[in-house]
Amino acid sequence: MLFVRRFQHRVFGVARAVTGDQQLAEDVAQQTFERAWRHAQIYDSRRGSVMTWLTSIAHNLAVDAVRARRTEPMAPEDLEDLLDAVTETPERWALADEASAQVRAALARLPREQARALMMAGIYGMTARQVADAERIPLGTAKTRIRTAMAKLRTATASAKRGDHVR
Amino acid sequence: MSGDVDCEQLREIGPELALGVLSGWERAEAVAHLDRCADCREYVRQLTQVGDRLVGLLPDREPPPGFETRVARGLARRAGVSEGQRRAPGRSRPGPHRGARRPRVRVAVVGATLAVAVGFAGWAIGTAVEEVVASPPATEQSEPVMVGDMTPAGRGGQDVGEVYAHPGPPGWVFVSVALTGSRHDGPVTCYLDRPDGTSLRAGDFTLRDGHGNWGVAVPGDLTRYSAARLVSSDGTVLATAQLQKAQVTTSQA
Repeated sequence: MLFVRRFQHRVFGVARAVTGDQQLAEDVAQQTFERAWRHAQIYDSRRGSVMTWLTSIAHNLAVDAVRARRTEPMAPEDLEDLLDAVTETPERWALADEASAQVRAALARLPREQARALMMAGIYGMTARQVADAERIPLGTAKTRIRTAMAKLRTATASAKRGDHVR
Repeated sequence: MSGDVDCEQLREIGPELALGVLSGWERAEAVAHLDRCADCREYVRQLTQVGDRLVGLLPDREPPPGFETRVARGLARRAGVSEGQRRAPGRSRPGPHRGARRPRVRVAVVGATLAVAVGFAGWAIGTAVEEVVASPPATEQSEPVMVGDMTPAGRGGQDVGEVYAHPGPPGWVFVSVALTGSRHDGPVTCYLDRPDGTSLRAGDFTLRDGHGNWGVAVPGDLTRYSAARLVSSDGTVLATAQLQKAQVTTSQA
């Protein structure tokens, strides 16, 4: 199994989702593999799989790229589409690990405004201030939505580790 | 750094810290608190894991045609540059990654780490070679490459790795090996053998549980070499590969 072939769909998927731009996503994806290669010696297998590591690199690079290029971090319709995509539960997710499945389910159960705030911060890398401006809400409300959403997902993850099934 | 953040405040800003969206000064104060509070470190570690899982929910997507090849070429180019320049810090081509990195707290909340060396360039190059050899696209560029499958020494059987060598200049060689039967731990030496029986010691790297990936620049014309050997520190030949000439052809999309 060859490395790029194995992980390219994941890396490109992350880059494309965050940037919303095919060419920029390819640049980001390519840089992800280059960075992984240059910094392979700091990969720590105890902190997660290679997949998780590459996903994290791709996400960081993609957010940096978007921040450097745009004044508006994301288009509202992109956010709605992405939110639908990450909360759907097609058959291909059946093999996902329990914690990821619980995070997906918990995200789907969040009030829409909390899920939007979380996606803006967690996926697009928007600050609470940017979330507040985009949603036209007070800064404190944006922070509360992010915090509350994260707390619920954390609880879901903890439940998965204990073997509970959050319903 | 004031270090004024207490545990209660950290719980308030922890989610933003874990997601990497705190401002610089807020982050600095939060990290200062984490340095002295194990409970909050654990709290942020869990939140960081949630953030990772959230990103992990993003759907996979088919990259554009030729992506593998372009990645491989980029890595090969970098291999030559990095060996030629012997690491020139901060020199990288223009692109999104030139800006400040996102202030993720991952490093701050994790203690001592066990670094596991993993080299990826061999896989990447292999991807390009395999694809191109299997079904050559319309070509605009062609480069020679030496390729070989590694087999366990003396036992034959299933392949346990791959060797790729770019004749250069600059020449480089990548080795990817997984000796599943041996679980060998420790340093190994890679030799490149010429048909006349002489050899070049290309370099050393470390196997962990029989697995290792490694690359190095090699001076001279690599087409003179016909085989590669991995030898353990006690002189045992662990694996060998016969090198064959091939062409990497790439289409400039």
